[in-house]
Amino acid sequence: MGTESYSVIGTRQPLIDGLVKASGEAKFTEDLALPGMLIGKMLGSLYPHAKILNVDHSKALTLRGVKAVVSGVDISGKKYGDFASRRDQNGLTLKARYIGDPIAAVAALDEETALEALDLIRVDYEELPVVFDPEHAMEEGAPLIHEEYQRNIVAYRRFDFGDVEAAFRDSDYVREGRFSSQAISHGVIEPRAALAQYDLSGKLTIWTSTQSPYWIRRDLSLILNIPESKIRVIKPYVGSGFGGKGSLYSYQVAASLLAMKTRKPIKICLSREEEISTTCLRAPMIVYVKTGVKKNGTILAQYVRCLADGGAYASSSVLMMYNSGLTCLIPYRIPNFKYDGYMVYTNKPISGPMRGHGANQPRFAIESQLDMIAEDLNIDPAELRLKNATQAGDTSISGLVFNSCELSKAIKETTKHAEWDKKRGQTGSNRGIGLACGGFVSGARLGGHTASGCYVQVNEDGGVTVTTGSSDIGQGSRTIVAQVAAEELGLSPSDITVLSGDSETTPIDPGTFSSRVTFYSGNATLIAAREVKAQLSQIAAKIMKANANDIVFQDKKVFVRGRVDSYISFAELAKKTEGMGSGRLIIGKGQWAPTNTQFPDRETQYGNVSGAYSFAAQIAEVEVDPETGQVKVLKITIGDDCGTVINLSGAEGQAEGSAAMGIGHALMENIIFGNNGQIMNPSFLDFRIPTARDVNDISVLEVGSPDPTGPYGAKEVGEGLLIATVPAIVNAIYDAVGVRITELPATPEKILEALEKKKKEKYL
Amino acid sequence: MKRKLELKVNDEPWEIEVEPHKTLLEVIREDLGFKGAKEGCGLGACGACTVLIDGRPVLSCLTLAVEVENRSITTIEGLAKGSQPDPIQLAFVDHFAIQCGFCTPGMIMSAKGLLIKNQTPSREEIKEALSGNLCRCTGYKKIIDAVESLVRNKKTYLQDDPQK
Repeated sequence: MGTESYSVIGTRQPLIDGLVKASGEAKFTEDLALPGMLIGKMLGSLYPHAKILNVDHSKALTLRGVKAVVSGVDISGKKYGDFASRRDQNGLTLKARYIGDPIAAVAALDEETALEALDLIRVDYEELPVVFDPEHAMEEGAPLIHEEYQRNIVAYRRFDFGDVEAAFRDSDYVREGRFSSQAISHGVIEPRAALAQYDLSGKLTIWTSTQSPYWIRRDLSLILNIPESKIRVIKPYVGSGFGGKGSLYSYQVAASLLAMKTRKPIKICLSREEEISTTCLRAPMIVYVKTGVKKNGTILAQYVRCLADGGAYASSSVLMMYNSGLTCLIPYRIPNFKYDGYMVYTNKPISGPMRGHGANQPRFAIESQLDMIAEDLNIDPAELRLKNATQAGDTSISGLVFNSCELSKAIKETTKHAEWDKKRGQTGSNRGIGLACGGFVSGARLGGHTASGCYVQVNEDGGVTVTTGSSDIGQGSRTIVAQVAAEELGLSPSDITVLSGDSETTPIDPGTFSSRVTFYSGNATLIAAREVKAQLSQIAAKIMKANANDIVFQDKKVFVRGRVDSYISFAELAKKTEGMGSGRLIIGKGQWAPTNTQFPDRETQYGNVSGAYSFAAQIAEVEVDPETGQVKVLKITIGDDCGTVINLSGAEGQAEGSAAMGIGHALMENIIFGNNGQIMNPSFLDFRIPTARDVNDISVLEVGSPDPTGPYGAKEVGEGLLIATVPAIVNAIYDAVGVRITELPATPEKILEALEKKKKEKYL
Repeated sequence: MKRKLELKVNDEPWEIEVEPHKTLLEVIREDLGFKGAKEGCGLGACGACTVLIDGRPVLSCLTLAVEVENRSITTIEGLAKGSQPDPIQLAFVDHFAIQCGFCTPGMIMSAKGLLIKNQTPSREEIKEALSGNLCRCTGYKKIIDAVESLVRNKKTYLQDDPQK
């Protein structure tokens, strides 16, 4: 079934909550207030590694307006963390592991009083030996940041498929290289915030900017010793997340503890400095890659070794290091593959998931190296990629099943669109063009709840309410599920009301991460909407004296196939069901998880972890100023295979947003750590993300074909596109001025230094 | 020590008691309840707090409330005329220039300020005018498209605009 047979799917649809956002009426957590609310603030550690011997808050409590102080001793529950095997956080710690690690929190009548009270809290520290460099952290004898993790290795993943050593011996050409990628802040414009309330019945309610009310509920339950059913997590409008707002953070623990202690609502809004330095960052990674190829460019073997700087706590470490390996095997056929992925603790802020989650760093390395190989073998980089591109029907050597794949089409269409052949290798112009590919999962299989759920109810006036477990954090999932219900019921998305993001009233759902939302929630909505359609068809068939299978829902009309003129309106049918349906309600429910996935084998990591995989080719065109080293990205062309597009504007929005974020990752953004591991640039003045002036032309070509598993054939679009942007830009810089940047970001200083070095070599 | 302050916000007069060190952003959000302007950084680096003062975009987190006494302050809540949204608001929705919506009020106020000053800005001028407003979601393209669409349709836009 092609997209042309749909009325809503594949079209441009504005966000169903667009006007609420454009009017300033959308309420984010920082906009909320409750009667009697107090303001909370957290105190962070002054030392990168220290035992907290005592927190004396007696003086703070004497300050007028201060209502309560809490610290690590007030936490009675278990530790929490993203994965059951790596729960290592207390929220307010008794052993500080990085500068700023939250130790205590205070509640006061206003923010100024709370801040003043922080200065009156006396903390006795016992300093411990420190380690900041991940390579040093995994040496024998390095200070242990968490006692139970030898050599500070919090996660280690190993893949070994085929015979890599033999394949390297059989290769005509082998290339090795070391690459590194920097720490980056998610740069969400909404700083995280929480508003917590606790009542005498023992119930905790928390409004917070999160990607997953369910993970917040689970982890708060662990740390606070409150049953999950007595915790309600409500997600108001969220100012984006990009992976960073999924986990539970100290500020949410602190707000909850203070609410329990004071029985008053507590609001904590992070400052930008806290947002950058006390939540999580994209993991800095050192990536070593060795690739063996035949003379004609066919890849025979690849070995990838990643060393990720995990910072002070585990966060998503085990999944991230799995992703770093698994995503190496998505875009290309690699018959022999070996991978060692380590994440180590250091005395620095936490590294956690960020858009692309572990895939971006090795992909930058691999795509850079493929260009180097192409040059050495005198093969066009696009040809090299086409020769090795994954095809629909392939199964990777690690067991990933690619039921749909249009990567070759993406490469062909982007190169054509960007005039690759004409523009490449124009020496002397300082302009260059670069290509890179990528791919990503449409939701990785999870150990716990992996499915998504949905209820669809038809109201008496024909309005439809969709209650979904998915969490819209700005990516537009409310609109996506509304489109699915509208498509099935012959309505417009604006006829659909979507309820989401409340752990008490919406179905259990893991949350927004791993690019799973459209794929999972879309399918769950489809099932629920079809159930509603079946119920309504029975009633319509009775009214119209026809077969239920012949009832059509289209343009807000309901009619017997072929007899559109004798229709009744959807609203009329809804009204009639009250009497015709024996007074029964029209409610459909759906839950969905793919049946074609497996949890990866614990030993070998073999298994198909996702129901479908996205693919992308990207071309960057840059101009490099050889005098200043400045890079201007002139154009980015994206060939996107996200299967069937559900919302064309939304898919383009993901692609364009990814392009901008990729420009930041490639050229500008860099979290700088001081000698003591402290972040030296925790503000948007010094940690610079792209502005409107840094982004020029972006073209998005949708090249996907329907995937058999996704809703209407849709796959993920939110993360995979970012992965290829960074290497495409770096490859374009090489094409422009002949310098290869292997350590991100490609700053003017590095480019000038490399140009200088190249000049000297020329005259030697 | 609080002092009395008269503010004109969205064409309505307000008389409040305020500490002189309070920023305009704090006052409009906390004292007047206009939550559309956001605090994204508190340092004037993100633009989420942008409001108009006498028709010009200003960072309300860097402006003291006492500095703008009796000037005409417009927040995002003051753009719609009754139940009719401002054409800029509709253009942002129609062009999918919004994702999470957190930067949107500030972005729209900067765009409004630009179009009051220059009714036919070029694409480069639009980028320049919006370069103080950070957006992490959209990549800016659809935002610039939205503003540009109003330039093309400038007649309808200007007819609707009492501040032209």
